[in-house]
Formats: sequence, C-alpha cells, structure tokens
Amino acid sequence: MRQPKLRRAMTAFVALAAAAALTACGGSGSGTDSGKDALEAPGAEVLEKATDKTTIEFWHGMKGANAAAIDKLVADFNAQSGGKVEVKAIYQGNYDETIAKYKASVQQKNTPALVQIYDIGSRFMVDSKQTVPMFKFIDKDKFNAGDIEPNIANYYSIDGKLQSMPFNTSTPLLYLNKEAFVRAGLDPTKPPANLDEIGEMAKKLTVKDAGGKTVQYGFGAAIYGWLLEQLIATDGKEYCDNGNGRKGLATKVQFDQETGVRVAQWWVDLVKGGYATNTGRKTDDAQAAFKAGTVAMHLESTGAMRGYVDAAKGKFTVLTAPYPKASGAATGGPIIGGASLWINGVGHSDKEKRAAWEFVKFAVSPAQQARWHTGTGYVPVNAKALDEQIDKDWVAQYPQFKTAVDQLHALPPSVASAGCLLGVMPQARKASEDGLEAAIVGSKPADQAMKDAAASVQPAIDSYNKSVG
Amino acid sequence: MTSTPPTVRRGTPARFTESGLGWLLLLPSVVVFALFVFWPLGRTLYLSVHGNDLFGAPSVFVGAEHYREMLSAGFGKVLATTGLFTLFSVVPAVLGALFVVLLLEARIRGVRVLRTAFALPFAFSVATASVVFAVIYNPAIGVANGVLGSLGIDRVNWLTDPSIALPAVCAATVWMNFGYNVLVLSAGVAAISPEVVEAARLDGASGWRLASRITVPLLSPQLFFLVVVSTIHALQSFGQIHILTKGGPDQATTTLVYSIYEKAFAFGSSDFGSASAQAVVLLVVMLGCTAVQFGVLERRVHYR
Repeated sequence: MRQPKLRRAMTAFVALAAAAALTACGGSGSGTDSGKDALEAPGAEVLEKATDKTTIEFWHGMKGANAAAIDKLVADFNAQSGGKVEVKAIYQGNYDETIAKYKASVQQKNTPALVQIYDIGSRFMVDSKQTVPMFKFIDKDKFNAGDIEPNIANYYSIDGKLQSMPFNTSTPLLYLNKEAFVRAGLDPTKPPANLDEIGEMAKKLTVKDAGGKTVQYGFGAAIYGWLLEQLIATDGKEYCDNGNGRKGLATKVQFDQETGVRVAQWWVDLVKGGYATNTGRKTDDAQAAFKAGTVAMHLESTGAMRGYVDAAKGKFTVLTAPYPKASGAATGGPIIGGASLWINGVGHSDKEKRAAWEFVKFAVSPAQQARWHTGTGYVPVNAKALDEQIDKDWVAQYPQFKTAVDQLHALPPSVASAGCLLGVMPQARKASEDGLEAAIVGSKPADQAMKDAAASVQPAIDSYNKSVG
Repeated sequence: MTSTPPTVRRGTPARFTESGLGWLLLLPSVVVFALFVFWPLGRTLYLSVHGNDLFGAPSVFVGAEHYREMLSAGFGKVLATTGLFTLFSVVPAVLGALFVVLLLEARIRGVRVLRTAFALPFAFSVATASVVFAVIYNPAIGVANGVLGSLGIDRVNWLTDPSIALPAVCAATVWMNFGYNVLVLSAGVAAISPEVVEAARLDGASGWRLASRITVPLLSPQLFFLVVVSTIHALQSFGQIHILTKGGPDQATTTLVYSIYEKAFAFGSSDFGSASAQAVVLLVVMLGCTAVQFGVLERRVHYR
C-alpha cells in the first residue's frame, strides 16, 4: 500500500514542478507585434478606435525632486487622457542600472513601452533594433518638431533624423565663488574663458593659512569623464572616429589625442602645484568642496546649480559662467546631453506604441517643459517653454541659470558638439576617467595614461562592433 | 492486507521504498541546493566559455578566451590587491580582537561595559558602517581631516591617494569585523575551564606566560575558525569598496569581487563571459586558501 502512494506523491510532485516550469517560460508573447511592422509608427486611429484603456509602463532613472516631477507629469497626463491611456512610471535605479535592466528586459522579451535612456546609451538603443525611431511618429503626425532645441535634437539624430525624444538636458557650466574672486582682487564679472585662464586665476585664488595649510583651492572638479568629453568638444575635436560615430560605427576613441592629453596635463599641473584639489571621481565629493567654499572655481552640470545656490545661502555668492574652452583658440561649444525617451516597438501593440507617443508629445509640450525645467533645473528641450510665465519667474529668481540657456543658444551645431555615438560609450567614459586619474595621482605621465586608457576600451569597442556588424 | 510468505520479488520493492523515502526526505535540500548552488555554478562555468551578444545573453563558444584575457598585467594587479586586502583586513582584526579579549580578562570594574562596547561594531551592517567611514574619509568635508586640521596637520587624501586608499579601506573593514571577532573570542575564553587556569596560576604562571601558554592555545579552535571565516569574507567583500572608493583611485582598491562586478554590471558593460571566468578564478582562490588553512593551520589547533 505504501509504495504506490509514495509513487503517486512523487508523480504529483514532478507534474507540479513541470507545470511551474512551463508557466515560468510562457509569460510572454500573446497579442504582441514582432513582425516587420514592429518598428513602424501607428496613426492616431488605433487609440480612437479602441474601446478599452491602454496601460503602458514608463521606466526612468530619476530620483528625489526629479522623480517627484516625473510623477506629477505622469499624473497630469493620465488625468487629461480621458481614461484612454494610463502611464505607469517606474523608477529603475540610476541611468546605468536602468539600461542594465532594459538589456535584461530585451532578453526576457518584456520591455516597457517607454524608457528613459541617458545620452551615452543612444548608440546601443539604435543598434538594439527594438525601438520605433521618433522621426517616424513625427512624420506620421506632421508633428511640429521645430520647437525642440536644434542643438539638443542634434545629439539624438542620425543623418538628421531624430531617433529618440530629448527629455531632460543639462549642460556643463563653470561655477565661481564670487567672494573668493573679490578677496583675491579678481573681477568676478570677467570669468576665465579657457583652461589656461583658469590655471592663471587658480594660482591667485589659492589661499594658505599661517601654517602653510591650504584653506582654499583655486580649482576643483570631479574626475568625471563627461567634463573631458565637453572640453574636447569645445576644441572642435571628435571624441571618437567616423564623424563621432555618426557616419558609421566608431572604431576607436580619440581622447588620447592632442586635446585630451593637454587637458590631462593641465589638470595634473594644477594638482601638483597645489592650486587644485583632487576629490576623486565622486561628483558628490567635488560638489561638497565647492559648497563648503574650499574651492573657488568648479566645473559641473546645470543640474547641480539649485543645490549650490541653496547651500551657499548666507556664506557666499554662486556665479555661473559659460563652460571654459580647451584652449584660447578653440571656437566650439560643449555637448548637449542628458537623457531621452525611447518608444519600444518589438513586442508592443500599436495601441501601446501610440499611447507612448501621446505621452512623449505631452512631456515635451511648452507648458510641461516649463514645469519640468523649474521643478528640476534641467534645460527645457522645448524652446517655447522659456515663454511660459512660471519659467520667466523662475529665471528671475535664479539669474545664474540664464548662462545655461544662453550657452545653449550660442552654440554652433557641429559634429564635435553633437557628441560621440558609441555602443560602449559608458565604458569609454570610465576608461577616460581611469586615464585622468592615473595622471592626476601621478602613477603615469599624462600622455601615457590617456593612451593606455584609450587602448583599454578597444576590446570592448571591437567586440561590440562585431556583435552588431 | 493478506499475509503471504516473503518472496524475493517482494524484497526488492521494500528496499526501494526505503531508499525512495530517503530521497524524498532529502528532496527539499537537494532542490534548494540544485537551484541556488549547483545550477548557478554550472551556469557560471557555461558563461565563462561563451561570448556575449548586445544584451548580455551568451552567444558563441569562445573556449578559454576569457581566461586568456586574465593573463594581462591588469589582472595580476587585481589579484595582488585582493591578496593585500585580505591579509590586512583579516590579520589585524583577529590579532587585535585577541589582544583586546586578553586585556578584558583583567579583573577591573566596568569590564562588561567595555566588552559590549568592543563587540558593538558587529551590530552595524557593512553599508551603514561604510557610509559612516565615507563621512570620516571624505576628501572635501571629512571628519578625519577636520580633526587633523585642528591639530595643525595637513590633510591626508584618504581615498584619493592610491597608496593610502587600500589601507584606509582595510582599516574600515577591520573595524567592521572587530566586533564579531571579540564576541567569538570572548565566548571562547569563557569556555576555558577555571580549573586549568587555576592550576596554571598555582604553578606560578601569570600575565604574558598564562596568556601565551594557556589561554591562546585553548583559544586556537576559535582563532582558526575566525581566520578561515574572515578570509572567505574578505575575499567576498564588496560593500565597503563600492561605497568608499568604487575600486579607485587608479584601481588601487579593485579586488577580484569588485572587478567581477565592474565587468558584469557597471558602465553598461554586460560582459558576463569575462565576469564569470573571473568568478571561477575567485572560487579556485577561495578553495585554495581554505585548503591551505586546513592543511597548515589546523594541525596546530588544540581541540579540547
């Protein structure tokens, strides 16, 4: 009696386990679109004809005040969609974590309809062949994309065709401690325009106490690859080959060439001379040094401005100046990056794609961009946002912010300032930081450090190109 | 059930039932082990000999290519850093705890308070303690430099100088492990039978002699346990490195585990092949360390 019972129990167990395994595997694939039309843009009729509500996921990498602004944006969109569309915003961690999760979701055939990806993930997004290029929706709807800042759209375009919708954009700035300038006898209304001038002023802005201990450094910035990318662009140089990866897949990075090495050497000299402090790679630490007033000149994104103004209240005055150029002769401008929105086509129904597009249109409208700008400090991607009243009020309150907008409008669009499209751009950025850091801490001469760093990213570039080639 | 005389035919199923029952009882742990240990291990080995596509999924078979990559100079540095980190976080934490526990044997007032205080770091998670140390070491507004500054000493680049960062991270790790070590050794001391100590005292042993000839040998099982366990812990350390230095500056604190993390997850690299190959190396290193410890140290352990 016992034996058949046992056998029955075991059979039941095996059957159950098998069933569980089958369910786990069969989660995807019903009613989705994976054929040739997956990457085409459906028209407005797909939602108009629909009788039920379309729910889509929107993955993003914003936290804190920025996440609150996203939640507000999504809630407003859902409220005005008349019950047709519901967007669910889901925070997936920082930009790196978001793209890592996105990669996993492609493997599992379970991508969100809409995802926010940082600028340096753009090449990967194009090569992944999962998304509907944004220009297809724009063409379909005859949507007026002319209000999107051309310099911002430049980054996300290949052959002049917009691949994704810019959403949040920041530009780099030179931050100054006004009182430190005044104390050193320098005119704060005449900020340094290039690295050499920063170097000269840093000497005057470095203050030591009676014991010879440095209490204020002339310059301080995080060892952050993004800052180097910007400096190379100001010099009119391309960060990677093949027209910054826009004529074809880039096959190598060029931060080990003349401008990159010069920037590294300039930084090394300042640190060695005791005119700049090295707070390492963490942007938080470099920010803390500026906020504490121990650094007189500092490079950071516009995104940090609000925090600086608040922290400096009652201690010193924060001034902003255009991002310095890599040399006196340089005529270029910085790269306009940030993050953009991508609509996934593979595995999504026409209704879902259309719903994502409706949200994208809403998100970049002047009124919403003005809100987004004032709520977060990002530069509005829609030029008309600056005409909204709340935006005017905000700029009046934070005049330092005008520098960023002026810089954006003054920028001549160019291949260099469009930025490098490279599938492994995050790794390239990390490698450039390895190079800068090795030079700054003195383990290698600047040229060798940058050369080794560029060489270290080569296998990743080669294997990426092989896998998409 | 009718009672029939036992036959050969009936004997086999009876034995089968018994071993079947045994397997059934083992099933839960076998399933858990298979799911969470053997399958991941097999998967790691599989990934370590395959390339990756754009999304990180295994693609073509590449043989030993990922292992060959490791012959570069960079990986040698990672192994050296791992070794130094392990050595300088395990040895000071065990010896320091032993020293403190022996001192706490002194019959002074408030020894219980002191014992609790020394064991307290055990209550901190790695992440919490690391954040605290990040504030202490902060290059811009750090507590350590503040204290040094008020004493008129110039700042130390705790986490931004490659030659200081590793010792600084080791020091933080020692602090984190100290409490647990004190706890284990205190329990060991408490378990030493008073007669043995008394007999030694009657023979005239005290102080250093008592400690070195009686207490420490009797603590050797606990010491051995701590060395083995904290070596494994040190080889697996991730939190403090991630929070304090992210493997920098200039790769000075990139240990094997941190290198695996960077290959697999950081900077969107999704290089699970290389990461898996390094994970296999980590497994071999760990097995090797443990085998050596059992081979060399355990001989000298005095089990009561």
